[in-house]
Amino acid sequence: MLLILLFMAVFAPAITIFPYNRSSGPALSPPAAPHVLGTNDLGVDLWSMICHGARVSLTIGLGTALLAGLGGSAIGIISGYKGGFFDEVVMRIIDMTVALPNLPVMIVLAAFFGPSLLNIILVLVLFSWAAPARMVRAATLSLKQQPYIQAAAHYGAGTFYLLRKHFLPELFPLIAVSMIRLTGRAIVAEASLAFLGLGDPTTGSWGLIINHATSFSGIYFTPFWKWWLLYPWLFLTMLVTSLAFLTREFEDALGEKRI
Amino acid sequence: MKKYSKQILCWMLILIMALTVACSSNNNQGKADAEKKTEKTEPVVVKLAGGDFGLSQPYTTYSRGPGTYKVKLVFDSLVAKDDKGYIPWLAENWELKEDGKQYVFTLRDDVKWADGKPFTAEDVVFTFDYGQVHPPVGSSQLLMKEGFLKEVAKTSDHEVVFNLSEPNPNFLEAIISVNIIPKHIWEGVERPDEFTDEEALIATGPFKLVDYNKEHGTYRFEAREDFWGPKPAVDVIEFVPVSDPVMALENGDIDLASIPVDSLSRFEDKEEFTMMDNLGVYGTRLRFNIANVDDFKSKEFRQAFAYAIDRQDIVDKIARGAGVPGSMGILPPAHIWYNDQVPKYDKNIEKAKELIEKSGVTPGEYELLVGEGQEVRLGELIKEQLEAVGIQVNVVTADLKSRDSRMAEGDYQLVVTGHGGWGRDADYLRTRFAGKADGWSSGTPGYENETFSKLAEEQRVETDEAKRKKIIMELQEVLAEDVPEIPLFMRTGKTVYRNTTYGGWKYEFDHHESTHNKLSYLE
Repeated sequence: MLLILLFMAVFAPAITIFPYNRSSGPALSPPAAPHVLGTNDLGVDLWSMICHGARVSLTIGLGTALLAGLGGSAIGIISGYKGGFFDEVVMRIIDMTVALPNLPVMIVLAAFFGPSLLNIILVLVLFSWAAPARMVRAATLSLKQQPYIQAAAHYGAGTFYLLRKHFLPELFPLIAVSMIRLTGRAIVAEASLAFLGLGDPTTGSWGLIINHATSFSGIYFTPFWKWWLLYPWLFLTMLVTSLAFLTREFEDALGEKRI
Repeated sequence: MKKYSKQILCWMLILIMALTVACSSNNNQGKADAEKKTEKTEPVVVKLAGGDFGLSQPYTTYSRGPGTYKVKLVFDSLVAKDDKGYIPWLAENWELKEDGKQYVFTLRDDVKWADGKPFTAEDVVFTFDYGQVHPPVGSSQLLMKEGFLKEVAKTSDHEVVFNLSEPNPNFLEAIISVNIIPKHIWEGVERPDEFTDEEALIATGPFKLVDYNKEHGTYRFEAREDFWGPKPAVDVIEFVPVSDPVMALENGDIDLASIPVDSLSRFEDKEEFTMMDNLGVYGTRLRFNIANVDDFKSKEFRQAFAYAIDRQDIVDKIARGAGVPGSMGILPPAHIWYNDQVPKYDKNIEKAKELIEKSGVTPGEYELLVGEGQEVRLGELIKEQLEAVGIQVNVVTADLKSRDSRMAEGDYQLVVTGHGGWGRDADYLRTRFAGKADGWSSGTPGYENETFSKLAEEQRVETDEAKRKKIIMELQEVLAEDVPEIPLFMRTGKTVYRNTTYGGWKYEFDHHESTHNKLSYLE
């Protein structure tokens, strides 16, 4: 399922006939050829919008996951490996980030910095690096005590050698899992921001489609919600659930390997 | 992955079922409420959609219809309007003297302020004198600012004389915009916009404001037993927060709402609901900031906008067919002096491109400021239409009040705004296109046309109606040629109300909202 969505996002221009940002047919026509998923109030083809929205959602998801996952892991490894004062400081910052209620602060920040794709990714990163950092730090600490690592260190292995040869391969699955989890969270967070009208109005993300649909006065009393609202919601749910399952599968596999 | 898909399906079904059950149980609740209400005949409580529009006092209200008309529930003016024209209110009658340069108002002698003190000519004189120093929100510029009012004097306890510097056909309209305040309370008030004591709401009107919550945007008005005029037909008017008007009306949260075309069928065959046609005098317009953006100084370039924007398409998509395209002469088809001869500017991309070339302007990228909700969609549609002729537009959204204040400050390039009042006396053409910018609604920064200003001045003092009408027709032609702004569409559609609660809704002859009309709540 994830692959299908990825495919949709990557080949969006190839598999859609109609433009995603301008009207191409009568407004609010129900799903039927040539508009397979119908059109919205401006007559824009919904299938095209969803395909292009997939790009936005995945960009945000993966972008956030990469930045937060790698950045967070790096901080986690360093603080776990070095320990001491730096470790203390990092841990307190992590505590603070974790304790703050995410969505409200994100709403304030998004409103303050103004909506743009990059800003949204940055705001999301700001809130999601702490979880992987903490996890990776804990794993690093326990790894540090492993006899083979201590032995390697005794034989004069340098910090970077140790990190590259021993820590990274051991930690990689853990980082990967947390990154996938982050992807799902980031997509949902972006959709919620867009739904609340704080997203970038020009991106056309799924949350934004849903936002426009729900702000159409009395949409639930018309048949329009059956396509305009349902399909983006369905795709969003599919993407997020498939990411969640993927995380679980990885965790299972990981669980067999370690501990 | 496959084993999960069934599970998902199950959960979705459960979710959908739960939602449906929740919705339908609400419905039943609403019906039950409505039935209960009809059994008890008293008191009549009318609930309407709320929203914060300031304390209902002439100086603290917000300058839009829902604000200024609430003030009129509490306060009275000398003259009022019904569905046909001007009617006596605090003034029993009035006389025109000295070639239209003097108005003599005879006041009612049975009117008392809510605190029991009698209402006299003193209060009227005071209101207008005080207004010269502190103009009330939404009051006529004519009366309060332009030196037009020479003197207001009382000749007896119940007679007031207004001396004007020149005749004006629009004087009564201006008089209506001023609500009379009690002298014995306001005399010592230095900052009327901060005067929010209970005393600030002492007035002569048919209702008193007993509860106002700024945060929730709720109001509760109760009828005054000792009101001097027609007996109130409604005992309580409540303004409550509403998220979706269709749902709220069905559930009985509110008793009247303007319903989108697509949801009308839900109310069509039900006995407890009645429909009214809205007057097409609520308009949405696209304004150019000619003062700030040099490109807009070219008439041809503005005309190109008019040709590029498909107003019929906007009516079909944004208003869902419930509207009429705006007339380029500004006065809408529903106006008594609408000029149907002005150029129509039907969508014509070729013509638009030609005009851009002729204007010598290289279209840049412009910022289009819009409000919330449907206006965002409108902005996107305009953006799409303009792109077809090579004009790039960047849609920026703001909430109603920040958009209004940016308009008032001239801080925009292009802006879309919707408001009522398009059916009023045609003198608004003058304040809109030849007047000074004042507040968010009047003035067009940077637009100047000598012919227009001259004609606009002529009609201002012309008391012969036929002659004045002719000038207004000419004014519309000038505007249609110059395109200082583009009237996009006039909202029509239908209003639905619950007749079991209350059915006495009436329109003022030139206003789009029956809930704004104070006569709606009186017998």
